[in-house]
Amino acid sequence: MSTIEAAPVPAQMRAAGRSEIRRLLREPSALIGGAIILFFVILAVFAAWIAPYDPNAPDWIAIRAAPNAAHWFGTDDLGRDVLSRVIFGTQASLAAGLVSVTVAVLIGLPFGLVAGYFGGVTDMVISRVADALLACPFLVLAIALAAFLGPSLQNAMIAIGISAIPVFVRVARAETLVVCTEDYIAAARAQGLGHVAILTGQVLPNVLAPTIVQATLTMAIAVLAEASLAFLGLGQLPPAPSWGAMLDVARQFLGEAPWMALFPGLAIIALVIGFNLIGDGLNSALNPRH
Amino acid sequence: MKRIGTALAAILMIGSGLVSAGAATLRVGIQDDPDALDPALSGTYSGRFVFAALCDKLVDISPDLKIVPQLAEAWDWAADGKSVTFTLRKNVTFHDGTAFDAAAVKFNIERMKTMPDSKRKAELAPIVSVEALAADKVKFNLSEPFVPLLANLSDRAGMMVSPKAATERAGEFAAAPVCAGPYQFVERKSRDLIRLKKYPGYWNAGAVGYDEVVYYYVPDSTVRLSRVRAGDLELAERVAPTDLKTVRDDPNLTLHAGQGLAVSHLMFNVGAGAKADTPLGKNPTLRQAFELAIDRNVINRVAFNGEFLADNQMIPPSSPFYDSAHKAPARDVAKAKALIAAAGMTRVPVEISYENAAGDSRVAQIMQSMAAEAGFDVKLLPMETTTAIERYLNGNFEAYIGNWSGRPDPDPTLVAFFSCSGSQNVNKYCNKDLDAILTQARGEADDAKRKALYAKATDIYLTALSSIPLYHPNWFFAARKSVGGIVMVPDGLLRLVGVKPTN
Repeated sequence: MSTIEAAPVPAQMRAAGRSEIRRLLREPSALIGGAIILFFVILAVFAAWIAPYDPNAPDWIAIRAAPNAAHWFGTDDLGRDVLSRVIFGTQASLAAGLVSVTVAVLIGLPFGLVAGYFGGVTDMVISRVADALLACPFLVLAIALAAFLGPSLQNAMIAIGISAIPVFVRVARAETLVVCTEDYIAAARAQGLGHVAILTGQVLPNVLAPTIVQATLTMAIAVLAEASLAFLGLGQLPPAPSWGAMLDVARQFLGEAPWMALFPGLAIIALVIGFNLIGDGLNSALNPRH
Repeated sequence: MKRIGTALAAILMIGSGLVSAGAATLRVGIQDDPDALDPALSGTYSGRFVFAALCDKLVDISPDLKIVPQLAEAWDWAADGKSVTFTLRKNVTFHDGTAFDAAAVKFNIERMKTMPDSKRKAELAPIVSVEALAADKVKFNLSEPFVPLLANLSDRAGMMVSPKAATERAGEFAAAPVCAGPYQFVERKSRDLIRLKKYPGYWNAGAVGYDEVVYYYVPDSTVRLSRVRAGDLELAERVAPTDLKTVRDDPNLTLHAGQGLAVSHLMFNVGAGAKADTPLGKNPTLRQAFELAIDRNVINRVAFNGEFLADNQMIPPSSPFYDSAHKAPARDVAKAKALIAAAGMTRVPVEISYENAAGDSRVAQIMQSMAAEAGFDVKLLPMETTTAIERYLNGNFEAYIGNWSGRPDPDPTLVAFFSCSGSQNVNKYCNKDLDAILTQARGEADDAKRKALYAKATDIYLTALSSIPLYHPNWFFAARKSVGGIVMVPDGLLRLVGVKPTN
């Protein structure tokens, strides 16, 4: 009894949390990634103030104008300012990353916890469904779902979110299996705590760290997936700006107006690198095996 | 040493022989993979494009849209306009060696009229019976005077296939069609290529310049052009207007441009189901306001580098029946706003559906932007091809950007879109007066009187504006300089008789 009282798990987690934040702040990749993400978040939130033009306002006499003093990133095929469209396009990309991964975590994590904790038939059913979804490549599944749901940013986010669920089921289940062998779980059971209390109070806090790492890395994939869906015409409806859709249009003018492709392309690369760097940093800081 | 020299000379000769053999192949990049290669079943432009080399027709059209002889050398209308007698070309054979004669014509017309899946039934509907008067004389009896018949026979409805082949291989004729054109079928690899070879027994074989023609399916217009520039293809059809500068600047290429028959138009659902119940669907004044809110010249300039023809009619200006009295109205935002106010509205919502292709997408966004200034809140709904076609055919749209390939005669276009039972009247517009005029026009042999009737029809459909014509695309082929003799015809089909390598 005294052993259990001496090892209150939540307190341990809180202590670990502080040290992990300190470790995270010492990770250069996490800092660079964080700075990049922060930059894009600021762009997205303050787009209306930062962008020099209305991203959807065409200029019929400045079609595919090269970068110049008035339009730093040039204009597109309808004479719209590419810089403004890249800035506003941040909103779609970040929204897709955040919303779809949140959807995936909110659905995938509970299923993974339940599968790992209860095992047996429950585990078998959940794991087989997740395996079946994983058997279909992520982007192919997202494209199929988006095509089924119809083109819109909301549907693209749902499609990406659903496609990412099995990854989180797997991560949560694997961590739960490990956590359930720990003494404090046995102790909690011995204390007479119910399943829900053990799952939320003891298992969940220990599964969160790898889930957060996975979520950050999945956001990079989600941003790419949103761009891919938009490229295929399954994302944001025109004329709202989206980096993928901008690349699709730019593809037709690669020779004569390369700036139309260059800047949205660079934006996608930067944001994806940002999420990957911060994911790596979090992995180093939170993974107890490091 | 001498032996080595002789051997080298021999190798060079063999090499040059190979080169010249290669040069006699014409490789053509086409945008779509054709559907069934049977004139009775075909429903695609790319199919017609291949048929132009494979299957001769009774008559053809000239670049100035006149009907000219092909398999029929002459024709004679009866005084009452209810029959026409064709004199057929002699010594013509199909690719299987069987003779082309009046019996073959009778077989073909009856086949297209009776085959269960035939898509030619409407075009040949006025033909009641066909009589083979002699080996080279055939008479078509009509239920009513039907002047556009010859124009119909200048397309798939007039293509003659071998009765022997069509009977013996009835179910699989499309897999290896047998016609009477300059080239005969060799092989088809689905979604890849169609290979044809010169038919030595062709009636005009001397004018056929290539031994072989291969159509490669290359859907992306930029890729098609790149392959022509790289010398991987000799010709690419439908080069994008935005790529024309590249073609003009390339010393190895020639741009072949020609006016087309096609029209791109914004259809409003005025009577098909629930989607017709919109302000624009119910009120012609609002549709007029929409027309005034857009600037067709800006659409043409921005979306197509000004290479197409901005226009307000379904019939292109190249047609002798074009009505020049109905000019396209200039953009007038103030008047558009006034019309919207007169309709008791300030903002008018409308959803425009279209197939998600580069051209339509640009046109839709330009219209959205311009119409917004007048008070239209345009929502755009791009769709992939299959969904778009399905929704179009079911009238499941508020407004739709339609692309119609056009016909040499005004009748098929106007009847299809504006007669109450027209095959393309998916937005369910119906005006009995217009129907009566269109019926009268198709029986009017006098061109001047016919033109006057079409002017009346134009006035009616441009007042109702169930559809707002936007522009007529022009045809652009990019060919290597080594290909000579290309003549552009408004139907946009590549006729290969007379096309020869120049070197």
